[in-house]
Amino acid sequence: MTSSNSRRSFLAGATTLLGAGVVSRAGAATLPEAPVGPSAATAAPLVPPNGRPYNPVVTLNGWSLPWRMKNGVKEFHLVAEPVVREVAPGMLANLWGYNGQSPGPTIEVVEGDRVRIFVTNKLPEHTSIHWHGQILPNGMDGVSGVTQPSIQPGKTFVYEFVARHAGTFMYHPHADEMVQMAMGMMGFWVTHPKDIRQHAVDRDFVFLLGAYDIEPGSYTPKVNTMLDFNLWTFNSRVFPAIDPMVVRQGDRVRIRAGNLTMTNHPIHLHGHTFEVAGTDGGWVRPSARWPEVTTDIGVGQMRAIEFVADNPGDWAFHCHKSHHTMNAMGHDVPTLIGVDHRGVAEKINKLVPGYMVMGEKGGAMGGMQMQLPENTLPMMTGTGQYGEIEMGGMFTLVKVREGLARGDYRDPGHYRHPKGTVAYEWKGELPPAPQAPGMQQLAPAQGKPLELKRGGGHEHH
Amino acid sequence: MNIDKPLRLASGAVLALAVSGCATFSADGGMGAVDQATQAKAGAATKLLRTDDDRQALAGQLRAMLAQPLSADDAVRIALLNNRGLQATYWELGIAEADLVQAGRLQNPAFGYQHKRGGGETSIERSLTFNLVSLVTAPLASRIEGRMFEGAKLRVTAEALRVAADTRRAHVEAVAAAQALDYARQVAGAADASAELAERMRRAGNWSAYDQAREQAFHAEAMADVARAAKAATAARERLTRLLGLWGEDAGYRLPERLPDLPAAPRELPEVERAALRERLDVQAATKETEHTASSFGLTRATRFINVLELGAVRERDGGEPASKGYEITLEVPLFDWGGARTRRAEAVYMQAVNRLAETAVNARSEAREAYLAYRTSYDLAKHYRDVVIPLKKQVSDETLLRYNGMLVSTFELLADAREQRVAVAAAIDALKDYWLADADLETALGGRLPASAQAHGAHHDIK
Repeated sequence: MTSSNSRRSFLAGATTLLGAGVVSRAGAATLPEAPVGPSAATAAPLVPPNGRPYNPVVTLNGWSLPWRMKNGVKEFHLVAEPVVREVAPGMLANLWGYNGQSPGPTIEVVEGDRVRIFVTNKLPEHTSIHWHGQILPNGMDGVSGVTQPSIQPGKTFVYEFVARHAGTFMYHPHADEMVQMAMGMMGFWVTHPKDIRQHAVDRDFVFLLGAYDIEPGSYTPKVNTMLDFNLWTFNSRVFPAIDPMVVRQGDRVRIRAGNLTMTNHPIHLHGHTFEVAGTDGGWVRPSARWPEVTTDIGVGQMRAIEFVADNPGDWAFHCHKSHHTMNAMGHDVPTLIGVDHRGVAEKINKLVPGYMVMGEKGGAMGGMQMQLPENTLPMMTGTGQYGEIEMGGMFTLVKVREGLARGDYRDPGHYRHPKGTVAYEWKGELPPAPQAPGMQQLAPAQGKPLELKRGGGHEHH
Repeated sequence: MNIDKPLRLASGAVLALAVSGCATFSADGGMGAVDQATQAKAGAATKLLRTDDDRQALAGQLRAMLAQPLSADDAVRIALLNNRGLQATYWELGIAEADLVQAGRLQNPAFGYQHKRGGGETSIERSLTFNLVSLVTAPLASRIEGRMFEGAKLRVTAEALRVAADTRRAHVEAVAAAQALDYARQVAGAADASAELAERMRRAGNWSAYDQAREQAFHAEAMADVARAAKAATAARERLTRLLGLWGEDAGYRLPERLPDLPAAPRELPEVERAALRERLDVQAATKETEHTASSFGLTRATRFINVLELGAVRERDGGEPASKGYEITLEVPLFDWGGARTRRAEAVYMQAVNRLAETAVNARSEAREAYLAYRTSYDLAKHYRDVVIPLKKQVSDETLLRYNGMLVSTFELLADAREQRVAVAAAIDALKDYWLADADLETALGGRLPASAQAHGAHHDIK
């Protein structure tokens, strides 16, 4: 393979983006170039250098895959291979992905484009690619065993079809898929409308929801985990390493997300109402849209939400399942709230030097700096202008600012609140707390064993 | 025997004196040789406590040694001086020496006086008797008693070394048992903390009776372990106390908190078999026995009519005690038996002794090899625990704490880990104990203390 030199140099540690404009010796050969993904930072939108024009999307902490035009066909080259993804600074994951990253690069085409995708398998096992949501010839659907033989290691297959419908799609394997998706094999696909004005927005963000179970101290996800994941990611990144979605005040904004985890995610945006404008089935007719601040994205579903960013500020955007805005945490840790540790802590300290009481008053760590196992992240992390954010996982900010340049996605920093618009501490006199007459002081509940009569009906005694 | 000629009596006495060699009491009563042997083979002196002054001097010595935590070497020193069973054994030397001196002395002439009255008659008979035979047998008796005395020295030395070895072992056992008890208490502390925290969890409404009961059950079991460990520690300590011959206030001696560290390198002993043959008392005793039998054989051949063989054959021990170590010398009148059969018998007895010696040597070599192999294996095992198992367990604990820090596991996992360390730490203490026991056994198998130079001291390693 002619692109092997550049790939090798990437593996050797080169992290510079082999950008869209790279013309390689591969151009003359039969296979198009397979560029390698840059760092885990969000790449600038890929302005189409040829073919039909479109408004490119921004892949959150990702990038879009360049192509070459060959006899009017858009040719892409995906290489399925093991990658090392930076989940967040300080934590790396051994994943499987495409072209040096997981998720793989976003493929952007225009409605009506004939697309030819070369898929080279550099994984240790066979694979295939299913083009989720595309209407295409059955033999291009990528279900190994059903519509095609699987792509054996070292082999390259070609998929070719016409992207018939504009919309929001994704790609992922349908071969050993439990393992391959648990290892991060997925990518985004956007088919832009033929008419550049149709569904046009000012900013169009895309990402995939992914869940991984990586034991602290290890690097490779446990592929057999079904629901008890400990890393909930946007594009295999967790907060505070998910880039903010920076928009100009008044911009029409679209956020498209696909769910390749094993549970649903109620995605919630603060400060704005939005409409679900699209699913993986296509665009929702305006009459069918309803206002939301949270939309649930089911397993295997995609949603495109749209809103006008009319409200400046740093607005939280996150999955509303509270465990999903946490990083690695123990799921079998008993609750210690309200448990007096006096005396016991000293005893434990004698046996376990370095032991500190935690959780006695709740989960907040109060800024404690604790040493953690290698290659993991604090459960709650990140610092805002007013202190600890105490969230991780599927959480980021939509930063709405006045007067940003078009195409300027740079992080503008913390929002500067106009005077008098931040909640503040009340320092005046407090009115007496109302209390219901005869109300007793609350004490922890104590119980007796339930007596349950079985076999003779269902009454309790 | 009636002898009424004083002249003959006198000449007999002269003859007797001439042949007896006239043994006298030594200044040390034979203890010098024992002391020398125990100093060389057990690294500690022995002394027979003869007088109150001796005992007071010992009491002063004991006070000084007991003021510190008792080291193994000091324990051996105390046992060799203060073990009353051993003191009793030391007196055997006195008995043997007295026998030796006695054998070298002629029996006193006995004066007999008989007064009979009967049938109106009174007869008075006076007699002066003197044991003529003893004139002939005295030199033989001296020679035999001399050997018996030598044998007694060997036996006493062997007994002293046995007590020294037992004391060394008992010391190791007592320290290890105390250490195990200390650790069991720590584990119970972990369980106690768990149980208490569990109770508070329950009180706060965060935990079920089931969870609480489980933690309390751990605590209850840990307390039982402490009781067992305490019993074992007491038994081990009392065994040592008995060997030390201590009682009253002195029995309140302190032990070191921990066993000595494993030496940096094990002893390299390429010639264990040779050392065993050279140093072991049983080999020496068997060699002497054979020499003795050989000379008896020669004697029998020469004299034919003096039966000293039974003495040579007396070698059985009854329950480890040198039971009846007597001898009998019979002087026969060679009328019917010209001693041919006896000579053959002497030869057979001699060959028996030769083979017994060979057997002793074979066993000594084998025991030396076995003890050395056991020693090396114990060393490797103790080293494995020190260098591999315990550091790994420590790493597990460290990692558990990191996981606790990350709120990945709870306090209870931390405490459970602390409890689980128990097995490894107990095994490590055991392995170290086994090493020191094997070390003591090796010294025993090789007949005494080994050069200390091989015992380079290792770096300080904490196994907790």
